[in-house]
Amino acid sequence: MRYGDFTPYDLVLLLQGLSVSLALFVSTTLIGLLVGTLWAVIRFYRLPVLAQLVAFIAELLKNSPVLVQLFLVFFGLPAFLKINVTPTEAAVITLSGNSAAFIYVIAVSAIESVGRDQLEAARVFGLNRWQILRRVIAPQAAAFAVGPLTGLLVNQLQVTSLISVIGVIDLTKVGNILNLRTLKPFVVWTIVGALYYLTAKLVAYAGARLETRLRAHTKWKGL
Amino acid sequence: MISITGLHKSFGSATVLRGIDLEISQGEVVSVLGSSGSGKSTLIRCINGLEKIDGGRVTVDGFDVSKPRELADARKRSGTVFQLFNLYPHMTAVQNIALAPVEVLNVPRKDAEAEARRLLQQVGLSERADAYPAQLSGGQRQRVGICRALAMKPSYLLLDEVTSALDPEMTAEVLSILANIAKQGTTMVFVTHEIEFARSISTRIAFLDKGQMIADLPTEDFFSDKGMAMPRVAQFLSKMRKD
Ligand SMILES: Nc1ncnc2c1ncn2[C@@H]1O[C@H](COP(=O)(O)OP(=O)(O)OP(=O)(O)O)[C@@H](O)[C@H]1O
Ligand SMILES: [Mg+2]
Repeated sequence: MRYGDFTPYDLVLLLQGLSVSLALFVSTTLIGLLVGTLWAVIRFYRLPVLAQLVAFIAELLKNSPVLVQLFLVFFGLPAFLKINVTPTEAAVITLSGNSAAFIYVIAVSAIESVGRDQLEAARVFGLNRWQILRRVIAPQAAAFAVGPLTGLLVNQLQVTSLISVIGVIDLTKVGNILNLRTLKPFVVWTIVGALYYLTAKLVAYAGARLETRLRAHTKWKGL
Repeated sequence: MISITGLHKSFGSATVLRGIDLEISQGEVVSVLGSSGSGKSTLIRCINGLEKIDGGRVTVDGFDVSKPRELADARKRSGTVFQLFNLYPHMTAVQNIALAPVEVLNVPRKDAEAEARRLLQQVGLSERADAYPAQLSGGQRQRVGICRALAMKPSYLLLDEVTSALDPEMTAEVLSILANIAKQGTTMVFVTHEIEFARSISTRIAFLDKGQMIADLPTEDFFSDKGMAMPRVAQFLSKMRKD
C-alpha cells in the first residue's frame, strides 16, 4: 500500500470530521435560537435602548462576511482584549452570533405575521403581555417561522465549513487533509460533498416534519 | 353599570366620537344603530379598552378603562364578540374558550374545559368541540366566539356586528343563540345592522350619527312616531328597510 492510497481509517477520519461539523452546527444553532429569539422578544416588548442595541448588532452581523467575523474573533480578541480563544471557541462564538442575527430576523417577521386581531382578542379577555406572547403569538409565529428557519439552517450547516481555515478539524478540514495526502481531489471532495448533502437533507426533512405538525390546525380534517 | 360620559375619540385630525353620553344598567339590551362610519365600532372599542380615549370617561362597574390599573378589572366584567370572530387558529374550540378562564381567572384547566364543553353544548356544537377554527363554518366559528366571551362570566357582552360576515342562514343560527342569552338576563351592547332583530331583543336603542348620540330611546319609542320625528333616524330606517 502506497502512502497516497485510501485506508479504512480514512473513513473514521471522515466520520470524525462530520461529527465535529455536526456538533458545531447543533450547538451554534441552539445558542443562535436562544439568543435570536430573546432578541426578538426584546423587540416585541420594545425595551428602550436594548431593542435598538439588538437591532444594531443584528445589522452588523447580517451585513458582514462570516469569515471576517471569524478572523475578528480569532485574531482580534487576543490582540485587542488580550482574551485567548481556541479555534473551537472562536468558531462557536462566530457561528452562534451569525445564526442568532438571522434567526432574529425570522423571529421578528414571524411575530409580526400574527395578526392584530389575535392581539386584540387576547387583550380584551385580560391576558397580560407575557401570556399573549406565550399562548397566542409564539405558537402561531413558530408555525410561520419553521419554513424560513429550515432554509436558514441548511445554509448555516454549509457555513460551518468556513471554520476549517482557523484549524478546527471539521469535515472540510478532513477533506483537505485527505486531499493533500491522496492527491485525489475528485474522489475526496465528492465524498465530503455527499456527506454535507445528506446532512442537509436530514435537516430539511426534520424541518418539513416539524412544519407539518405545527400547521396541523390549518388543515381541514373533515367532519 | 357601564357609564360613558362626554366620550371623545379622534384618529389624527378626524374626530370620530364627539361627546357620547350613555349608561347601560344590568339586564338591559342596548342596540347601537347608525350608518357606516358613524363610530359604532369605535364606541365598543373604547368600552373594552382597545382604543385610548381622548376625552370624557368610560367606567365599567366603576372601573375606569383609561387607568391601566383598573382596565384589567373592567375587562374581567365585559366579554367581547368580534365581527370576524378572531378565534385563535392554533387552538381547538374548547381550547379557545378555556384559555382566558385558565390564564386570567386561574380556573383549573380541567374545570375550564368542562365548562367550555357545556357552553358548546348549549349552542349546539358539542360534536365540534375538538375542531380547529379552520375546520368550522362561519356560523360555527361565531358560536365558538360567543362561548369564548361567555366563559369569562361577563356582566356585559359587547357585540360588534357579529353576524355581518355570515350568510342569512348562519345569521339566523347566531341570532337565535343571542336571543336566548338576552332572555337569560345577560346585559348586552349590541352593534348591528339587523334592524328587525334589534327591535325584537333590545330594551333600548341608541342611535349614532357622525360621532354623536342623537337618539337614546326605549325600543318601542324609537320605532314609533318619536323616532320617526327625527329626520336622520327616519332616513336611516327607511334606507335600511329598503336594503
Ligand atoms: N384606527 C383608525 N384609524 C383611523 N381612522 C379610523 C380608525 N378606526 C376607525 N376610523 C374611522 O372612524 C370612523 C368611525 O369608524 P367606526 O369603525 O367606528 O364606524 P362604524 O360605525 O363601526 O362603521 P361600520 O358600520 O361600517 O362598521 C370612520 O370614519 C373610520 O374611518
Ligand atoms: Mg363597525
